[in-house]
Amino acid sequence: MALICFWTLVVFYALAIFADLISPYSYKDEDRDFSYCPPTAVEFMDHGQWVQPFVYGRALTFDSTHRRVYVIDQAQKYPMRFFKGGRLFTVDAPGRVYLWGADARGRDLFSRIWYGARISLSIGLIGVAISFILGLLIGGIAGYYGGWVDGALMRVCEMFMMIPGFYLMLALRAAVPENFNSVQIYFSVVVILALIGWASLARIIRGMALSLRERDYVLAAKTLGVPDIVIILKHILPQTISYSMATLMLTVSSYILAEAGLSVVGLGIQDPIPSWGNLLSDAMGIVPVIFAPWILLPGLFIFLAVMCFNVVGDALRDAFDPMFNEGAS
Amino acid sequence: MRQNKLFFVFLIFLFIFRAHFAHASPSRYGGSLVLSIPSDPKTFNDIVSTDAYSGAITGMLFEGLTTADPFTLKVIPNLARSWEVSPDGLQWTFHLRRDVQWFDGTAFSADDVVFTYNDLIYNPEIPSPSKDVLTIDGKPFKVEKVDGYTVRFTLPVKFAPFLRSMAQTILPRHCLWQAVKVKRFSFTWGIDTPPDQIIGTGPFMLSEYHPGERLVFKRNPHYWKRSSQGEALPYLDRVIYLIMQDPQAQLLKFMDGEIDATPVRGSDYPLLKPMEAKKDFKIYEAGAGYDSNFVTFNQNPGVNSQNHRSFVDHVKLSWFTNLEFRRAVAHAIDKKRIIEILDNGFGLPQNGPMSPSSGFFYDPDVTIYDYNLDKARLILIQAGFKYRQGDQTLEDPSGHPVEFNLYTADTGTAGREQMAAIIRSDLERLGMKVNLVPVEFNTLVNKLMASFDWDMVMIGLTGGVEPHFGQNVWLSSGGLHLWDPHQITPATDWEKRLDEIYDEGAQELDENKRKILYDEFQRIVADQLPVIYTVLNMDMYAVRNKFGNLKPTVNGGAFHNIEEIYIKK
Amino acid sequence: MIKHIIQRFCSTILLLLAVSFFTFWLMHSTPGNFFDSLRLNPQISQETVARYEKLYHLNDHLLVQYGHWIFNILHGEWGYSFYYNVPVTHVLGSRLFNTFILSFTSLVLTWAAAIPLGIWAALRRNQWVDRVLSVFSFAAFSTPSFFLAVLVLYAASRWGALPLGGMHSPHYDDMSFIDKIKDTALHLVIPASVLSLSAMASLQRIMRGNMLGVLRQQYILAARAKGLPERVVIYRHALRNAFNPLVTLLGYEFASLLSGAALIEIVCSWPGLGSLLLTAVRAKDIYLVMSATLLAGVLLVIGNVLADILLTWVDPRIRYEKK
Repeated sequence: MALICFWTLVVFYALAIFADLISPYSYKDEDRDFSYCPPTAVEFMDHGQWVQPFVYGRALTFDSTHRRVYVIDQAQKYPMRFFKGGRLFTVDAPGRVYLWGADARGRDLFSRIWYGARISLSIGLIGVAISFILGLLIGGIAGYYGGWVDGALMRVCEMFMMIPGFYLMLALRAAVPENFNSVQIYFSVVVILALIGWASLARIIRGMALSLRERDYVLAAKTLGVPDIVIILKHILPQTISYSMATLMLTVSSYILAEAGLSVVGLGIQDPIPSWGNLLSDAMGIVPVIFAPWILLPGLFIFLAVMCFNVVGDALRDAFDPMFNEGAS
Repeated sequence: MRQNKLFFVFLIFLFIFRAHFAHASPSRYGGSLVLSIPSDPKTFNDIVSTDAYSGAITGMLFEGLTTADPFTLKVIPNLARSWEVSPDGLQWTFHLRRDVQWFDGTAFSADDVVFTYNDLIYNPEIPSPSKDVLTIDGKPFKVEKVDGYTVRFTLPVKFAPFLRSMAQTILPRHCLWQAVKVKRFSFTWGIDTPPDQIIGTGPFMLSEYHPGERLVFKRNPHYWKRSSQGEALPYLDRVIYLIMQDPQAQLLKFMDGEIDATPVRGSDYPLLKPMEAKKDFKIYEAGAGYDSNFVTFNQNPGVNSQNHRSFVDHVKLSWFTNLEFRRAVAHAIDKKRIIEILDNGFGLPQNGPMSPSSGFFYDPDVTIYDYNLDKARLILIQAGFKYRQGDQTLEDPSGHPVEFNLYTADTGTAGREQMAAIIRSDLERLGMKVNLVPVEFNTLVNKLMASFDWDMVMIGLTGGVEPHFGQNVWLSSGGLHLWDPHQITPATDWEKRLDEIYDEGAQELDENKRKILYDEFQRIVADQLPVIYTVLNMDMYAVRNKFGNLKPTVNGGAFHNIEEIYIKK
Repeated sequence: MIKHIIQRFCSTILLLLAVSFFTFWLMHSTPGNFFDSLRLNPQISQETVARYEKLYHLNDHLLVQYGHWIFNILHGEWGYSFYYNVPVTHVLGSRLFNTFILSFTSLVLTWAAAIPLGIWAALRRNQWVDRVLSVFSFAAFSTPSFFLAVLVLYAASRWGALPLGGMHSPHYDDMSFIDKIKDTALHLVIPASVLSLSAMASLQRIMRGNMLGVLRQQYILAARAKGLPERVVIYRHALRNAFNPLVTLLGYEFASLLSGAALIEIVCSWPGLGSLLLTAVRAKDIYLVMSATLLAGVLLVIGNVLADILLTWVDPRIRYEKK
């Protein structure tokens, strides 16, 4: 099970990296003739014969209750073009291919989900990286030195853990100037995420460091006069990595959820840059859910990515736990 | 003998007659109406309030001497039962109703009228938006008490919209004169005032207010209006406003039966229309609304008195004050698609300050800017802007890249945030870098009215039938002259001309001559583009069928005659 | 035990001070001339602005300002909300209570569901019940709560039996006390159950893990060898020992529920501290943001202290250790 999840994640990241290639359109590419267009089926048969895949033309009409109805025009056929303009597949204008439907402004959801994957998946990783470095350093130092250093640093940790995550996120977000552009907002969100999560990581590392410092080889190194910081970096921390990996996976999943939460209330990544969270904010209403259910797909992706990280993390923890327990006796 | 027989027949007739009536009209009294409002009111003080939500609330509590018939749009008596005007048109004498009581039982009299005008509206220390509308050429009206129920208004010059302006609400002297005396009136009747202290004459009085949750109004037992059958009004016991910031939540609450009426946006229509039969309500389409939607650029050259910085960075100011720049932006507003995407086809493109629903004064012959990005680019290039090689960023003649912020308020109205997102993406195609900054509605109002630190704003204003009442917006000295308010002398020739038009228009009693003036006003606005209009929404309301006497209009919404509304048994 | 409580209390106070300072510093690093724009707002009297400037010593050094802020807070003066145009305390009180109700109900729901399910899964280890619950758990705590809330709201709108958002019906004020409770309870169903779902999932797995761990212990083997009925073995011996460590989690549970509640409040229009904070952040209502964040921290700390006390009471080892 964990292996399936691991490979799923690899696929997600790969697709995200290659979003430019696999997406037929840029994330900004609007076509207002196709607002909320349902997914366009790719046709393989024409009058009972196999042909090169194509997409029918569609026209927007409104029915008597002003509901959008897309009428398929079988006279208009747009053949799929492969590897044209650096894109794996696309169609010639004015045809549009919407594998997973379009949003309100006619932007392709398939493309936006993969561009959005770049943001959502990377934010989780970078945020975790920062949290991890912070956690390692502070936890490692606290655990190794013990005593008042430990006490003080742990109090700082507790302080961060004392403010409920979402509140802390909102408060931190309030401190961000209102006219930041999208790049600056991205980094602010990363920093905010990192700040809410480092504390629990630090505690775990500290716990491990506390027990590890009693080990023979550490005592030996100390006797030999190796400087403390080298001991921490070369001897203690590497031992913590394996167990930390599990926690890291779990933290990435919580960061992905946190970014989604922030974007959904409009305080995260801003339009037009897609992130799975702000894609979902379009779906937060009865009307889109009923009339354009494909708009909920980003939620599925968040769910899948988070679940995969959780399963992998859980498996890692199971794998390393007994080993760790053995060592600690 | 015959007399007895006749009498007997008469008695039987009477009996049948009475019995008939006893079954014919069951009591209409009782019940409550639950509505929703997107934002808390900022104050209950009708004189100083500047936003539409506070106004909606105080509209239930206070009344004016006159009001407008919601169907014919003509002025009809309200607190004043009749009036006369002198032959020169300058002296108006109002005879007040004698049966009106304030909520606390005190009798309404001429003292209240005089107090409201002389001590509140014309008081230099009270920031009242009405002051400007009720002042012509810098001169106020002279308001005098003739006797307990008679008030005389003497105008400095003829004033065409005078009678209509007498819809100005009247506040009670006996409650407020002390606050005025100690110069605390502007802060009285704020939202933390105990509800029973807000005293008006309207059909309902404030019973409870839970901030962020709901307002509850209860029937005014002393209300003076009577139904056509002579019954005391209002019929309803209570009106409850739920405060719902999220329009989705509002829609859900209508669907689950907690709210009795909801404004219907075009995008909600396909969802609600098929439910009409099953959920027992009806959608009323009242027509194109009065509320405008527009974007505007900050052309304010002033300086913040506290930190001595200009309100607008001077580089940006050079773009915003450039008419060609604004014209290019006007060609980038995709009105047709906005209507299609946001409102499923309901709505009209808006090209000028008045709406077709305004009737007589509406002028459709104004310059229309078609959605044409190529034309927009051409205009920019001809104005000296350049496109940078490579990324096609737009640069002004001095080489600065064009970048600015677009502020918008996300309080559930008209999908303004989505509209702003569409406009932003078109401006981006023109090479401009626009940062969309959503803020709270009240914060936006504060920026526009007090701190002036904004670049471009998407917002709307309520409109109406009488163009003069937009005075605060169009006079260069007006507080709602958003792009450059409170000017001491008009900054441009066309603003000077608007000042003149507003002055003349107010004093011209011939309707046709007025129309010529206001037509010119609409054309100037469309040519000079201090604001760039986007779309007019269709006013639609969904109301449960259990309410009787519903007569929705664009003018008043679904409940302008709230005192007549009753619940059918 | 008393000594332990006092120790805890002292470190709690220190923690709160640290949290408050952090929040304070954060707010003051916000660029912007907050008071400048206030001064220009005609609906806020100059006196109010002047009063708050004086109260908070805005022109002094940051630490001095902080000191005054804390001093004021302790005296019940929590600042002014310029968005609502009332002192902060007027808005915080009821909102705090609402969030508390939501979090507490979710806590109860979580525990009431997770404990039995965890035991069940442990007892039926690797059978289909366990596997189903395992998949369900992972799914539940991977789903973004706000997303689930929207879906649930949509489903409920089709069903028609539950109120869709908010906390009270419009006619709440007229209801009898019992009816008020019922009304609030109905409104709680959707937000509380969505909120508990993911907490329930993780707690269930932990309970299962603990239970399995305890069942492997020697004394269980001994009890079985003694011939005690299985039910007694499980419920009298295993359960209590499996359960105790969970109490340590109570604090963290409460923290994550409180945090998760904020987003649910926003989606379900529940008038609590979280939705208040969102409005305050959007409106840049500084004192309201600081106060709401601080209050959330205080609520959490109190929750943790209570959990600690509960643990001390429940776990005899700690009590005896202290002696």
